Amino acid sequence: MTITRPAPDLRPARPARPAGSDAARLLELLDSRPPAHSLPGPCYTDPALHEADLSLVWQRQWLFVGTVAEVPEAGDFLTVDIGTASVVVLRDDDEQVRALRNVCRHRGSRLVTGSHGCVGNIVCGYHHWTYGTDGRLLHAPQLPPTTDTGALGLRPVHLREVAGLLFVCLADDPPADIEHVARVVAPYVAPHQLGRTKVAAQVDLVEDGNWKLTMENNRECYHCDGHPELRCTFFPTWGLSDDQVPERMRADHDRYLAALADLERRSDELGLPHGLVEDLVDRPLGFRVQREPLDGAGESFSPDGTRLVRRLLGDLPEARLGRLGLHTQPNAWFHFQADHVVTFAALPLAVDRTLVRTTWLVHEDAVEGVDYEVDELTATWRATNEQDAAFVAGTQSGVADPGYLPGPYSEAEEQVEAFVAWYDARVREAVAR
Amino acid sequence: MSEVQPAPRAHEVQVGPAGPSLRVVPDTWRPVRPLGEGVLADPAQGEGFDTELVLRARVQETHDVVSLVLEPASSNAFAFRPGQFLTLGVDVDGQRVERCYTISSPPTRPHLLRVTVKRVEGGGLSPYLHDRLAVGDRLHAAGPLGGFTVTEHPAARYLLLSAGSGITPTLATLRTMSDLAELEDGALDVVVVHSARTPDDLVGRDELEHLAAAHEGLRVVWVCEDDPPGRPGAWTGWRGRLDAEILLAAVPDATGREVLTCGPPGYMAGVRAVLAEVGADPACCHEESFVLGAPGAPAAHEAAPARESVPEVVPGARVRFGRSDREVVCPPGTTVLAAAQQAGVRLPSSCSAGLCGTCKSTLLAGRVDMVHQGGIRPREIAQDKFLPCCSTPDGDIVVDA
Repeated sequence: MTITRPAPDLRPARPARPAGSDAARLLELLDSRPPAHSLPGPCYTDPALHEADLSLVWQRQWLFVGTVAEVPEAGDFLTVDIGTASVVVLRDDDEQVRALRNVCRHRGSRLVTGSHGCVGNIVCGYHHWTYGTDGRLLHAPQLPPTTDTGALGLRPVHLREVAGLLFVCLADDPPADIEHVARVVAPYVAPHQLGRTKVAAQVDLVEDGNWKLTMENNRECYHCDGHPELRCTFFPTWGLSDDQVPERMRADHDRYLAALADLERRSDELGLPHGLVEDLVDRPLGFRVQREPLDGAGESFSPDGTRLVRRLLGDLPEARLGRLGLHTQPNAWFHFQADHVVTFAALPLAVDRTLVRTTWLVHEDAVEGVDYEVDELTATWRATNEQDAAFVAGTQSGVADPGYLPGPYSEAEEQVEAFVAWYDARVREAVAR
Repeated sequence: MSEVQPAPRAHEVQVGPAGPSLRVVPDTWRPVRPLGEGVLADPAQGEGFDTELVLRARVQETHDVVSLVLEPASSNAFAFRPGQFLTLGVDVDGQRVERCYTISSPPTRPHLLRVTVKRVEGGGLSPYLHDRLAVGDRLHAAGPLGGFTVTEHPAARYLLLSAGSGITPTLATLRTMSDLAELEDGALDVVVVHSARTPDDLVGRDELEHLAAAHEGLRVVWVCEDDPPGRPGAWTGWRGRLDAEILLAAVPDATGREVLTCGPPGYMAGVRAVLAEVGADPACCHEESFVLGAPGAPAAHEAAPARESVPEVVPGARVRFGRSDREVVCPPGTTVLAAAQQAGVRLPSSCSAGLCGTCKSTLLAGRVDMVHQGGIRPREIAQDKFLPCCSTPDGDIVVDA
């Protein structure tokens, strides 16, 4: 694991404080929420409150932006837009992954475009100011000789790699608890060796909903009847404790418990961490991690649960290792199987639009068409994401309806409540600063 | 073209009636050998120069021609051949500008380099060299380049034709010949015919006339189109543009000489026709062509930059631009970007130093030597991409541009 510490910046940007009235209004709305109920409508629909979300949450927290497999070689970059901010994450010539503001130091032009690409040096298309992959200004035509080009490097953004997962933070002083999270999570993720994977597929899907609805929808399987493809491999009682399991699902749950015991035994034999660690509300980088069994053959997200990629990840000796589930607040969830990894990043585009970027990673030596077929590999989550997008869009129109009233969460929606509680806590912390 | 018998060579003197063919070789005869053989250092054996130079002095030659006397930042002597050129590189307003100039000083004076620069309005470098480069300033030079030199064409009798600042190789050549005592009695026989717009545009007039007065083996002929504006006293020498009539009147034995021509493209085309008309042996006619090297290059001074290549004797690789359907010759040391500019192929570019990658292009055939600074990635190179601004052809190439 490496950490890139940006050099001190001469003019650190403080995220704009939302107008006091917006922050106060947001706190009032949060205060008005009964325990374990969904948020009031304006939290999902009001553009001013969305701006408050961006400055109080998105410009302060660690955000998942991609994996090392998306920037495998020096010069490779990916970009993420967070509200109006754009960050370029790239691997520099020292093989270090860095994050930089995607803003030219001349007159502010966007530097690189597109979600992914490769650069030699970073060249602004406007006046050809040229920066090294470390952000140093190398060339600025016709600048007066007296200009101090040393002070005109690209502004760094904090970046932290956790076992191949890349997180950035736009704040000057990022929450430090990522170190703790990394210590806990890395041993779970490391055996899948993301550094030896490649991107087999990536799909950007725009959901017509507020980012919180996207995250809330993802945090429960109460709605999983709407996911026939996923249901083949996802146990129907996912997220329910023993006493919450309805009688009609008892057989499913018994099957889950048996598979769980089997997986735990085998994981112990292989030295793979598997126990649940959940710290969703109290820390800035709320997270949940657990290795859990998959239904069917228990190997992967295929209709019968058998593996989708012949070549297994890292040095994993067998395919039936279930699913290492990882979730981080506010914007990511992950499934690590023995044969492939799926990562999901949610990024806000507007108050009612959210980008969900789904990435499928396979072993770097796996050969498409020989070891796997992209259509088969991606089928389950392409279908599931589309179904989720429809659920989120339906909810967005509903919460925008004057007739909407916040409703109570079910027992299966504990993690939804945990997500909203996390959001509530972060907003209050930020406003209090 | 009619067959014309070349005039007898100077050393082949027919003696007496045509009896048994007895040829007496005069004592002064000696085998034709390259100028300066065994004396001049061979630049091909050295590493060339790629160095910082300091401007030591400026010599105003005419109203719009200046000579720059350049001293190496480190004290090395320069090995080159008379007529060769170098590439000067200067940072002008933060932008690297490179142009080629003939070295006008002789290699027999190897410790300072002199280039003679005509001011080209709107030119990339010459206005800067004229107006802003001050004694003590530094600039970069790389070379020597080019094969337009009498040493490549050993002969006993030369005709050096030039126009405008195409006189610079002639200056270097005559200075070398004089220093080597090759113009003394019985050695070389050289005629210079130089064309200019007016007498005020004659570069090196006093020096050349002095050399001619002192050496029987050298004759200088000036040809001017016009009188200098507003100046009393009409030009009494040859007048007009060089044609067959003037050439034969001034140099009756022109066809028996090794001919080296340097000047603007229009002049060179005219000379080519004149030489054909008088029946010169094409094998004995050589042209300097700054086909590349850019607008400041000597041969292009008086006219628009050469758009058509005159590649007959220019050493270097052929660079073909596939989409533009243009081809130029790229002398050693000249970048593909400079070749493109000279050919009128506009490639986007900015840094000219392999940094920004703006000029990134695809190489369709051939190989280049590229010295980049991060503007391109190894995998792009593996996909036949290259940066013309910092690449020189390694043999003939075809560029997708």
